[in-house]
Amino acid sequence: MTSLNFILQNIILCLDVDSCGYILSDLPLGLYSAACRRLSSASRCKQSITGLDISDRLSKFLSSQTNLYRLILRGKKLIRGKVDAVDFDSMIRISMANNGSANDDTTNQNSSPSDLLKNEAPIDELSREIQETLSVSQRHKFWETQPVGQFKDLRDSTLPEGPIEPPTPLSEVKQEPYNLPTPYEWVTCDINSEETCLEVYNLLSNNYVEDDENMFRFNYSKEFLRWALHPPGYFKTWHIGVRVKTSKKLVAFITGIPAKIRVNKDIVTMAEVNFLCVHKKLRSKRLAPVMIKEVTRRVHLENIWQAAYTAGVVLPTPITSCQYWHRSLNPKKLIDVGFSRLGPRMTMSRTMKLYKLPDSPLTPGFRKMELRDVPSVTRLLKAYLLQFIVAPDFDEIDVEHWIVPKEGVVDSFVVESQETHEVTDFCSFYSLPSSILGHPNHTNLKAAYSYYNVVTKTPLVQLMNDALIVAKQMDFDVFNALDVMHNEGFLKELKYGPGDGKLHYYLYNYRIKSMLKSSELGLVLL
Amino acid sequence: MSDWQQYAQSIVFGLIFSFLLAKLFSIIFSFRDQNLRITRANSDEDQSYQILSESGSESVHDEKKSGAEFPRDHNTSDEEEPLVVQGQENTWTSSDTDDDWEGVESTELDEAFSAATAFVAATAADRSSQKVSTDLQLQLYGLYKIATEGPCTTPQPSALKMTARAKWNAWQKLGAMPPEEAMVKYLDIITELYPTWVSGSTSKRKDGNDNERSSKDTRPMGPVFSSLIHEEESDELKLDAIHAFAREGDTKNLLKCVEGGVPVDIKDSEGRTPLHWAVDRGHIEAAELLLSRNADVNLKDNEGQTALHYAAVCERESIAELLVKRNAAKDVKDDDGNYPSDLCESKWPWIQPQVPSLE
Repeated sequence: MTSLNFILQNIILCLDVDSCGYILSDLPLGLYSAACRRLSSASRCKQSITGLDISDRLSKFLSSQTNLYRLILRGKKLIRGKVDAVDFDSMIRISMANNGSANDDTTNQNSSPSDLLKNEAPIDELSREIQETLSVSQRHKFWETQPVGQFKDLRDSTLPEGPIEPPTPLSEVKQEPYNLPTPYEWVTCDINSEETCLEVYNLLSNNYVEDDENMFRFNYSKEFLRWALHPPGYFKTWHIGVRVKTSKKLVAFITGIPAKIRVNKDIVTMAEVNFLCVHKKLRSKRLAPVMIKEVTRRVHLENIWQAAYTAGVVLPTPITSCQYWHRSLNPKKLIDVGFSRLGPRMTMSRTMKLYKLPDSPLTPGFRKMELRDVPSVTRLLKAYLLQFIVAPDFDEIDVEHWIVPKEGVVDSFVVESQETHEVTDFCSFYSLPSSILGHPNHTNLKAAYSYYNVVTKTPLVQLMNDALIVAKQMDFDVFNALDVMHNEGFLKELKYGPGDGKLHYYLYNYRIKSMLKSSELGLVLL
Repeated sequence: MSDWQQYAQSIVFGLIFSFLLAKLFSIIFSFRDQNLRITRANSDEDQSYQILSESGSESVHDEKKSGAEFPRDHNTSDEEEPLVVQGQENTWTSSDTDDDWEGVESTELDEAFSAATAFVAATAADRSSQKVSTDLQLQLYGLYKIATEGPCTTPQPSALKMTARAKWNAWQKLGAMPPEEAMVKYLDIITELYPTWVSGSTSKRKDGNDNERSSKDTRPMGPVFSSLIHEEESDELKLDAIHAFAREGDTKNLLKCVEGGVPVDIKDSEGRTPLHWAVDRGHIEAAELLLSRNADVNLKDNEGQTALHYAAVCERESIAELLVKRNAAKDVKDDDGNYPSDLCESKWPWIQPQVPSLE
């Protein structure tokens, strides 16, 4: 708590109180006086710039003040003891760092308009950074009530591995859906229906995951959705949509699919929860939490009590955190659209040469997987996945669904021994394109994602190089892989570069003894 | 007689003066008290204490100077809790049962509202901005209090405190209006008063950072879009300013360099001319400029590649055409033995070498 006081004080000091007296006394004083001070210098500039210009600038700057206001608000909440464990060190560092720049700011009273704009950056930055730090602790409030691994238990090795809560009798599971805000209603989405599938596709392609700069948005194809949502033994009721009652417009979506996942020695039937998407215009309605609760309820109704899911943010508590890696196949396009950058001392022509690939696969006996390969691929995969601590337990029916190639969705290649005609190795990748937002020439980024790869005879690097070659032939722009399983063994050598995305894996209502290394994870969620 | 007059006059002045003095002190002290309460909720450190009370008295002076009233709430704040926090919670509890979810998620309305209040506070500070009628100010004040604190429960202030009384009335008469409605009305009034404020706020909303935050806040689960952080880079390269200008397509500075006597075909440490760089990055104007200044179109870099090789590798069709028109050699091999056409995925007929390489 002392450190928090110190920080708050620091923030107030940074902002300094000097000029204007128009202060809303029940709002944080430092914030408002800073607002006023900046405004007084802004109004000094006012003569030199047009009215519209300044008010634009003012409201922009004021929204950044709003952030700070929220930050201080959170600080107050913390003090009131709602949250106890927070890592304050980084906050102190940030506020200290900002102290310097804020002081400069005050000495620079005759700031020109451009200075004014420049000066806004640190405060904006500061508030955002501290907000992020704080939000980590705030987020937990939901998850601390859920049966998930808690941060505070991380070092407690006495807790047993396995379910955190025992299953409740089915009769005690809530029978009716959770309440939605009145204008909305639950629906079950039948992805087999072309019409519904199109609606889901449209919702996701306009509202699903984007990168931090809003340059790209995932664009899962309809075929992909059918594949991802209809594994053997799927439950229709787990494909949940939310519609507006009056217009019937689909505005939110979440899904679960059943999967057998082995954790150490125990095989647990779990739900893989994915495709949580809320329409952009309804992000403020807090549909997401109720959707998560609803999918959990429907999973419970099938007598399943565990789930696996991923997130880009840290929640309590990841079983492992993975890093994305990217291998350019079409570097010119990737640079053009801003997926990757060209350093000032590098030429495009050398980059193109660097990523050039042979025209055809090099491994003898490398061919597309066929239905008849299912038994041997299953054997290979089962044996391979046993070495990982958390991995799916695939049988032939699963392999037939998940691994056998489907046009434009998933591709798999096997290496068939020239002498024995046995399948000795295989690799697979799925196709997940993204929309390129607001680019004049390009609209679609074709990305292949590494799925499951197993080698017994061929060197892994050689097999994955062949995967790159066929992906290039199929006109993919980039090949992505997580550092799960043995992937680290080929990433650097095959010129993958690290990405800015981290993917954290989570289990719901299942505790594992200690966090895994990413290479100990044998699970890929779509 | 004149003595008595003087005496009475001085008594009257004395009374008036002491009353004003007492009034001033009472205002300062009451204001201080209220602020200290808020401060204690924050921190007990002496320094921030000092700053807060300083600013407090400052604003009292200000209040004395100008009669203009904007939603300033210090006269009516009596609660132990910081009011802002409470206000926030009101808006949370009012919808649904998922208040605990992520704790700090706020609605768009909340965001717009707090931005608007900040905007109002700031515009009030700006003397040169348009004046707002007292009625409207009181109305805004009432809505603000409803939005942040809910219905008025504080006791009526004494009739002597004119402004406090007027504010209290404005708040009280709104009764049990829901906070959301108050926010909407507040925003409506602000939008009417300052139409530009809206355009400012929407332009902010388009801002990348804002989107990023909202998308992260509202959708905590699912996959992640990742892009390369790694930059293509080569280490030991040394190049001149003219190469950099060619690389950036900065024709103005490029021209300055050439006219300033920099050799147009000067090579960097990899043997590339400015023309190589212009072609590599696809700057056709820069390439045209260099060619018009007699750049040698057929110079090779350290790997034996000409500008035409670069154009072919990078699939820059219009530039390759330009180079061919300017007599770039199509039949030059690089050190790996490739003609420009060999490096090109698209098959442009006009780049095929004349030599009998096809046979």
